[in-house]
Amino acid sequence: MIDYLYDGTFEGLLTCIYNHYYVDKAAGIYTRGQYQPSLLNGYMEVETDEDKATTVYDAIEKKISGYDLKRVYRAFLTCDPDKEMKILNYIVLGFRKGSSVSMLHGNDTVLAVQALEKKISVEKERMLQFVRFSVMKNDILYARIEPDHDVLELTAHHFCDRYRNDPFIIHDVKRSKALIALQGEWYISHFEDYDIPELSADEREYRRLWKNYFDNIAIKERKNPRCQRNFMPARYRKNLTEINI
Amino acid sequence: MEEMMNKLKILADSAKYDVSCSSSGVNRGNNGKIGSAHASGICHSWSADGRCISLLKVLFTNKCVYDCEYCINKRSNDVPRASFEPEELAKLTIEFYRRNYIEGLFISSAVEISPDYTAERILEALRLLRYKYGFAGYIHAKIIPGVSPEILHQIGLVADRLSVNIEMPNSESLALFAPQKKPKQIFAPMRQITNTLIERNALKGPGTMFKGQQLSIPSSKSKEVFAPAGQTTQMIIGAGGESDKSVLTTSENLYHAFKMKRVYYSAYVPVVDSPILPDKTSAPPLAREHRIYQADWLLRFYGFSVSELFNGGEDNLDPDLDPKITWAIRNLDSFPVEVNKASYEMLMRVPGIGAVSAKRIVRQRKVSAVKFDDLKKMGVVVKRAKYFVTCCGKYHGDRKFEPETIRNSILQMENGLQLCMFGSDWKQLESGERQEKLAIAGVI
Repeated sequence: MIDYLYDGTFEGLLTCIYNHYYVDKAAGIYTRGQYQPSLLNGYMEVETDEDKATTVYDAIEKKISGYDLKRVYRAFLTCDPDKEMKILNYIVLGFRKGSSVSMLHGNDTVLAVQALEKKISVEKERMLQFVRFSVMKNDILYARIEPDHDVLELTAHHFCDRYRNDPFIIHDVKRSKALIALQGEWYISHFEDYDIPELSADEREYRRLWKNYFDNIAIKERKNPRCQRNFMPARYRKNLTEINI
Repeated sequence: MEEMMNKLKILADSAKYDVSCSSSGVNRGNNGKIGSAHASGICHSWSADGRCISLLKVLFTNKCVYDCEYCINKRSNDVPRASFEPEELAKLTIEFYRRNYIEGLFISSAVEISPDYTAERILEALRLLRYKYGFAGYIHAKIIPGVSPEILHQIGLVADRLSVNIEMPNSESLALFAPQKKPKQIFAPMRQITNTLIERNALKGPGTMFKGQQLSIPSSKSKEVFAPAGQTTQMIIGAGGESDKSVLTTSENLYHAFKMKRVYYSAYVPVVDSPILPDKTSAPPLAREHRIYQADWLLRFYGFSVSELFNGGEDNLDPDLDPKITWAIRNLDSFPVEVNKASYEMLMRVPGIGAVSAKRIVRQRKVSAVKFDDLKKMGVVVKRAKYFVTCCGKYHGDRKFEPETIRNSILQMENGLQLCMFGSDWKQLESGERQEKLAIAGVI
C-alpha cells in the first residue's frame, strides 16, 4: 500500500490508477501540494504519463462504458477532498461488474460517485441560471463567476450555441481562468482582473432596468424569503446584477 | 430611458399575477442569430415571493376595456396605465436576453380597443423579435379571448407556447366575476390550438395523461412550426366558492379535451374591493393552492384520476396530508406492495416513492435485489414509504397495519415539517416547477 501524489490533472489521476494495478495498491491519492506524509504508508510522486493514462481511459470506455467514463470525469471536476479515492473505487468496482455498475444504486461506492456527479450537475445548472453578462466596449459580453466546483468547461456548449454571434468571456474569479468564445469556438485561458474590458455606455441603464423589473415582479402578499434563499444561495448573490447592481 | 423605466414598472407590476413562467417544453439550438431553448427550461432568478423568473413577463398594455371583478387592471380601477411600442419591447427583450437575465418573453395583455387590435400589435412585436433580431429563445404568448382565428394562427407560428386563461373553474363563477368574457370565447381558441397541434403531430412529451390515446393523424409536410411547446391555462383558486373536486375535475377535462401541457392555479390575492369577492384583508389561500398542485401532479405524472382521489366521498383535499398519502390510507387493501415485484405503475403510487426512485428500483432489481437499506440511497422517502411496502418479504412499518394508526404516525412525523411550512415563510410552487423541469427533461 502506498500514497500516490499527482499533479491535479485528470491524466495524472488515470496514471495513478494505472500504477494501482501494475505497481502497488493505492492507500490514498493526493495532489502534490496538499499531501501530509503519514506514518503508515510510503508515498510516491507519479509523473503523468500519456500512454498509461490512455490505457486506463480506453479500458474504462471499453470494459465499463462511455457513460461511466463521462461520469468519472464529471466527478473529477468537483472539489471534494476525497474524490480521487472515490473515483478509484468506482473504477475498480466497474472493472469487476462491467456496464451494470451504474445500476447498483444501493452500493456505497456507486452512491459516492453519484453524489459527486449530482453536486457538479447542480452547480453547472446554477451557472446556466446565474451567469450575468455585462456588455462591454466593442459588444463583448463579460461575466464573473465563483463556482465551488470547476464547472467552467461544462457551460461552454450551452453558451457557445446561444451566443454564437457575440464574443463572450466567462471569468472564473476563484481559479483565475476564463472561457473565451467567439463564433461557436472556445478555449480556456488564464485570466486576471486587469484583462477585463471597459463597460459600454448604456450598460448601467440596462442593469437598472433589470433591477427595476426584478423588484416589481414580486407579489408582496406572498413574500417568501426562505424559498428565495433556497433557490438563490447567498454565495452566488455577489455576482447577480439584480441584487448587487 | 426614464420613460422606459416607468413603463416597465407599470407593465411588470400588472403582469405579476400571471402564474406561468416556465420556459420548458421545447428543445431548440440556435437557429437564428441569438438564442436557444432547453426542454427543461432554465430559471434565471427568484423574486422576493420565491417564484422563479425565467421569462420577461410583462403586459403589452394594461389599458383595458373589460371590467372583470377580480382583476387589478379592470377598467373601473384607478391605476397608472401604459403600453409598449412593438419595437421597444423587442429591443428590451434582446438586451435582457444577451445579458442572460431571461430565457425569453412572456407576453400577455389587457384588451386595448379590441382583442384583434391588441393581438395585432403583439404579433408585430413578436415578428420583429423573431425576424429582425433573429431571436431563437422562448416566447410564451397569452391569447386574449375573442381574438380572430387568423391572428391566433399567426401568433402560434412565432410563439413556442400559447395559453388562454380559463380564469374560473366553472361557467357560473365566470359569469359572475368576468361578465364580459364568455366561455365560448375562451374555449374556441383553445380548441383551435389543440386541433392545429394534433394536425401537425406536435403533441408529445412526458406525463401519463395522453397514454394510449391516438393523438397523431398523418400530417401534411409543412415546415412551419406551430407552438412547439403546446398550450397551458390558468385558473384562480379561492375567489368563488368551488370545491377542490370541481377545480380538479375541470383540470382533468382540460387535460383530456385540450391536451393541455399544464394547468396553473393561482391563489386569489385580493387586489380590488368588491362586494362579491373575499375582502382585501384576507390572506391568499396558499396551503390550498399547494394541495391542488400536488393533486394535479398525481393526475399528470402518477396515473391517478380525479375520481380515485376523491373516492372517499369528500369534496375537498385533506389539508393535513398530501393527496397521495390520503389516497393510500383510504385504499390500504392494495398495500403493502413488495418493492422487488411491484410494477412501475404501482411503485409510483406508493407515498414516498417518486419517478426517480421508482426508476432506480426497477433498474437495480434487474441485477440485484432491492434491500430495505437501499431504499434511502435511491432517494425514497423511507419514513413515509415504510408503511406501504415490504422489502424482500419483510414489513418495516409499525406493528398495526390499520388506516388510523398509519395516519397518526405520519401526521406526528410530519407535524414539525408542516408547522414550519405553513408559517409566515410558507413556500409553494417550487417543488412543482422542479418536477416539471425534471419531467420534461425526461429524467422522470
